[in-house]
Amino acid sequence: MIEAASLFGTILIYMLSKRLYRRKPLLLLSPLITTPAALVILLVTTGTPFGSYNAGAHWLSDMLGPATVAFAVPLSKHFDLIKKHAAEILASVLAGSAAAVASSFWMAEALHLNKQLIYSLLPHSVTTPIAMNVSETIGGIPTITAVAVMMTGIFGSVAGPAVIRLCNIRGDIARGILLGTSSHGAGTSKAFEFSSVSGTVSSISMILAAVVTLAITPWILAPLHLFLSGGPG
Amino acid sequence: MKKAFNTIVQIFVFILISWAMNKLVLWLRLPVPGSIAGMLAVFVLLQTKVLRREWLEAGSGWLTAEMLLFFIPPAVGIVSYRSLLLSSGVQIVLVVALGTVVVMMCSGLVAQSIAKRKEGARPS
Repeated sequence: MIEAASLFGTILIYMLSKRLYRRKPLLLLSPLITTPAALVILLVTTGTPFGSYNAGAHWLSDMLGPATVAFAVPLSKHFDLIKKHAAEILASVLAGSAAAVASSFWMAEALHLNKQLIYSLLPHSVTTPIAMNVSETIGGIPTITAVAVMMTGIFGSVAGPAVIRLCNIRGDIARGILLGTSSHGAGTSKAFEFSSVSGTVSSISMILAAVVTLAITPWILAPLHLFLSGGPG
Repeated sequence: MKKAFNTIVQIFVFILISWAMNKLVLWLRLPVPGSIAGMLAVFVLLQTKVLRREWLEAGSGWLTAEMLLFFIPPAVGIVSYRSLLLSSGVQIVLVVALGTVVVMMCSGLVAQSIAKRKEGARPS
């Protein structure tokens, strides 16, 4: 009973949120903010634990896997275009992923977070399974990483269009790179709202960013520490 | 009616592939998420024309269009980390938000400047 209510309640609130957003397109009214917020309020006021909610709602998050597999279709459709822009995608994702790890490190350090928490936040820009893997490798706490990844997805898909407007980013390729590199799957689903090309480039960038982050993070930790203390010693 | 039926069948095909690839990745102990391995497998099958794009296009379109909905339950899951959020939630949100804007500007502006240079270099 509660399972069915969780599943269909989530879909219903999501549909209402989408309608509200269409009528009033404010950042704070994005469905990825209003829907979880409404559900959290519902869970807290009715005293429902997340576990019982998720027993029904997990059917929705289970669709993330099939949706990722489905990226293969637009990827194959736009493959020639991707090949043509391969250098641009690769260079931008490399720059973005290095910036992701370095900026998170310095900001977390400036906010005096403890080491374990800092390490947990470093891979927050990439897709959950890879981010948790990186976190574990460098000595972070994978569950905290998963929370940060989720926050990144929400923030990125909400703020992405605003950054695109402010920085005057034109072209489907650059927009896709920006969203996929910064905010993984949630950014990619936003990119598909711009265009099918943006979405495809975003899914490619999301995968590249995951691979790059997995490869570089353990290696740039030492130089980052060095920069901070102003030299060896 | 027929179109809706086709879309639903195609969605089930994606669910099946994703499920099978998850098992395969576990069994082979590959350090790749099953969904990404599945995407690469379907991509190869499409490029080699073993699968035709028309067979999967409707289901793929629906799944990618509605993907934000699938992020809702994990987003609600943040509620389970109340003590972490109370102790360092503000700092975490700051790092995530500012970091994400930095990554966006970095990757977006690099991409845009390369695209412009390419355009400029092209003889007209």
